[in-house]
Amino acid sequence: MRRALMVQLARLGDLLQTVPAITAITAADPALEVDLLCPAPLAPIGRMLPGIATVLEWDGVVWNHCAKATGSGLQSEHLQDAERRIRMLAPRQYDCAYVLNQHPRALLAGALLARAMIGPRREGPLGGQLTPWAAYIREVAVTGRGRQVHLADALCGICGVQPSGRLAALRRASCALPGEWDEIGQSEGRWVGLIVGAGDVERVVPLDTWRQWIIRFLEQDPRGRVVLIGQEKERGGQLIDLLPPSVLGRLWDVTGRTSLTELAEVLVRCHRVIGSDTGPLHLAAALGVAVIGIYFARARVHQTGPYGSGHLIWQAGETRENMPMAAGSIRPIRWPIEETVAALVEGRIGRSEGWTVWDSHCDRWGAYYSEANHSPTPPYEREALWRNMCSVVR
Amino acid sequence: MTYVRENLEGLRKTVPAFVEAVMSSAGNRLSMSSSREGSVTATCDGQWVHSAYDPRKEARTWAEAQRCEWKEGELGIVLGVGLLYHVEALAAIKPSGSRLAVVIPDPSIMKDAASARPMGAWFTDVEWLWGSAQAIAEQLGAYSTPLRVLTYGPAARLDAEFHEELEDALRRAVSERQSGRLHVAVVGPIYGGSLPIARYAVTALEALGHRVSWIDHSVHRSSYDALGTYREARHSQIMQGRLAEILSLSTITRLAEDPPDLVLAIAQAPLTLAVLEHLRKKKFLTAMWFVENYRHLTYWQQLASGYDYWFVIQQGACLEAFTRAGARFVGYLPMAADPAVHKPLVLTKAERTEYGADVSFVGAGYPNRRALLPRWLSDEWTFRLWGNEWEGADDLASVLQRGGARIDAETCAKVFNASAVNLNLHSCGGDRLDPDADFVNPRTFELAACGAFQLSDERSLFPDLFTDQEVVRFRSVEDVPTLIRTWLKDPDRRRAVAEAARRRVLRDHTYEHRMKKLLTSIGVRQPDRIGSLLRGDREAGILAARAGFVPELSKLLRQFPPGQRVELKDVAAGIRATGAGRELKREELLVLLLDSYRAETRDLV
Repeated sequence: MRRALMVQLARLGDLLQTVPAITAITAADPALEVDLLCPAPLAPIGRMLPGIATVLEWDGVVWNHCAKATGSGLQSEHLQDAERRIRMLAPRQYDCAYVLNQHPRALLAGALLARAMIGPRREGPLGGQLTPWAAYIREVAVTGRGRQVHLADALCGICGVQPSGRLAALRRASCALPGEWDEIGQSEGRWVGLIVGAGDVERVVPLDTWRQWIIRFLEQDPRGRVVLIGQEKERGGQLIDLLPPSVLGRLWDVTGRTSLTELAEVLVRCHRVIGSDTGPLHLAAALGVAVIGIYFARARVHQTGPYGSGHLIWQAGETRENMPMAAGSIRPIRWPIEETVAALVEGRIGRSEGWTVWDSHCDRWGAYYSEANHSPTPPYEREALWRNMCSVVR
Repeated sequence: MTYVRENLEGLRKTVPAFVEAVMSSAGNRLSMSSSREGSVTATCDGQWVHSAYDPRKEARTWAEAQRCEWKEGELGIVLGVGLLYHVEALAAIKPSGSRLAVVIPDPSIMKDAASARPMGAWFTDVEWLWGSAQAIAEQLGAYSTPLRVLTYGPAARLDAEFHEELEDALRRAVSERQSGRLHVAVVGPIYGGSLPIARYAVTALEALGHRVSWIDHSVHRSSYDALGTYREARHSQIMQGRLAEILSLSTITRLAEDPPDLVLAIAQAPLTLAVLEHLRKKKFLTAMWFVENYRHLTYWQQLASGYDYWFVIQQGACLEAFTRAGARFVGYLPMAADPAVHKPLVLTKAERTEYGADVSFVGAGYPNRRALLPRWLSDEWTFRLWGNEWEGADDLASVLQRGGARIDAETCAKVFNASAVNLNLHSCGGDRLDPDADFVNPRTFELAACGAFQLSDERSLFPDLFTDQEVVRFRSVEDVPTLIRTWLKDPDRRRAVAEAARRRVLRDHTYEHRMKKLLTSIGVRQPDRIGSLLRGDREAGILAARAGFVPELSKLLRQFPPGQRVELKDVAAGIRATGAGRELKREELLVLLLDSYRAETRDLV
């Protein structure tokens, strides 16, 4: 049996963006056994990815120690130790590694663990020339202008496959939540997961905005409940301090205290998840929960919007369909509080000054987004790019 | 005596002379008693050598703390004997492949220990080092393995002098074998008396073959002065403080761009505690040579915990004060001279006329100098006073040169060479000789290096640095005129004394000596980092020879000249330079992988 290894050593959001590529690779070669190499802390999510047989855990802390040990002089023992660790990860080399990061260590790990490598560089880890899809991703990252091919689909391109057009659901067994958290999602009413922070500081929605949002939502939906989600426990606490005591009985705070498995459980118990942190947003979307994404700063819906159908995205900036996005960081002048609450409670999507609103869709060329309240129109440019790339790649 | 024969029996085959020495010693240096927990414990002169409650538990805690530092393959050398609980605890957790040795300054203590309790199998696995400090140092100096000194304070203090002597001898033995090259970043002050010292340190380190990054903050002097011109002194102070903070951050940026093995700051270097703590987090090793009187400049109290190593020019109470303030290590490192700057000169007649005098004094106008120098003016000799900050010293106006302008090192050397008697009066407040006369100032070494005769006030630290035949000292103000008179009459003896002083400086007191000692002191405590570099363990030839059984690594290392220091980053850079477009070997991939993590650890800014 042929064995392949997906190498994804970036963050949670990037790991989840790998799902369409895994789906497409396993669909193209059902006999192929596919394993995943991911950062050790993300292994619980890695094990949920459909189509993955075994997850290899990459422990950055241990590698850091190994590198530090060479500070006393590079010796053969250091290389032998490094080799031993590689062998412990995978006693047998893979036939092929699909490397999905441009970071040197992902490329090096791929080269060490597999006999052949498909990835962002043409000639191995030190090759200077990018493959066409890697060049596309690099250009999008530099210019900020997407040609409306989603990053997850571009990763399919890097792997030499076309997206399947659907998002395979994560494999997950439900679990009990500790203590009073187990009440989350169990009573009637609309449960909303609110992601309070973001990995990148410039993507953080101000606490006062979330304060207003929670108050407004709970006013509009008397049976509504809010669960504060994210890694930032302090921020969760600060937000609670800002809220009137009257709403606290309808608020759960799990920030900074959930394992990834528990986070997944909390997310699936919510009816909607709202936030700007793309990691948990992608996780919610992959778990089949509809999300409302607040995209600003350097986040662009067409590149990294929640994958699949039925999600809503508020994108800062006056971008219209078929128009290029502005490059650089966009800082909103106002926040779409009323609009997102109305969409959530009444299903009504109105105009938002300084924002555009997008629905998510999927077709045979992958994900795309169309302006809300308009009939979905797959962007022509995306298909053209795929056709062009396919001819180049083949 | 119950256990002594039994305990020592196992050592009789390997170290019979040692066993005999222990058996024939008097013993009874320690007083035994029972601890609360029941095991035997000991005191010496009323002070506990081990815990009165639970000596084994205390020993385990100490051993675990040492184990964090003690690396695989290093020879651990324990200072402090006591009842050996700490050695037993250390032997139980020593790193694999490491050996453990204990220094025995006095067989009597060993006899006490061996008599007090039964020892286990570990007792015969330990190496016992005994004899004179010099002999032990030579024995240790001959080992090729890195040495890790582990001091058990409560017991080590009983033989503090012996250990000091041993450490000195060990430093000398190790420094004689220094061949490796370090990269040292020297951080200098914005201005002041320590600025030339920083420059001398840079020159000395370079002369020793090390690579030096000189972070020279004196280029910011004019900005610093400009910020001192506000009408309100408070504003000037705040603004100058802010500039110092900026320069501290600028230092970090320089360090990030070219990470050194050691950051050596010289007194008054603008490095804040926050920056020093950040450097420690990022695993930078820092040292400060505090070439100031610790009683006068007290900012060290705020920075004591910030540096990994402090070197000071005073001893005794100074070392204790730094330790109390949180310093991890404090060592004595006296001032010195740079013989390339301070040297005997052949002066022209015109220069002799311009700079010469029977008696000269070079220095700033501190209160004691203003009070005492007028008492040493006389019609019997000519007197010239050089230096700045003499405003208002009316009774010295007639002898003050160049209107009290600051003179540079070159002019100083000419004055020293042209004067028959150079007075050297250490500065202090008040109108007397320094009441806390301990450290010896740079001027002493500079005069000596010039081969110039000097009369210096007495200092308690003189005896270790110069003899009476090398530097003539006065102990009272009243003695000075007589001494001047005596020595002016005897040029031959003056020359003999001055030449002896110069010989001493060249032998023991140059900045190269100081830098060598400083690096060796750090190397002895950091055998895995600075120590291995100093031994030359990271030179390509040595690394390649050790990598013999991984031929690919050996091949990678042999691409460098054998004497060149090679780090992981250098090997990785070599692979990157030649690796594009070809299939990389497995060893090359592993080197690149490790290097990608190494680069992360120094992400400083």
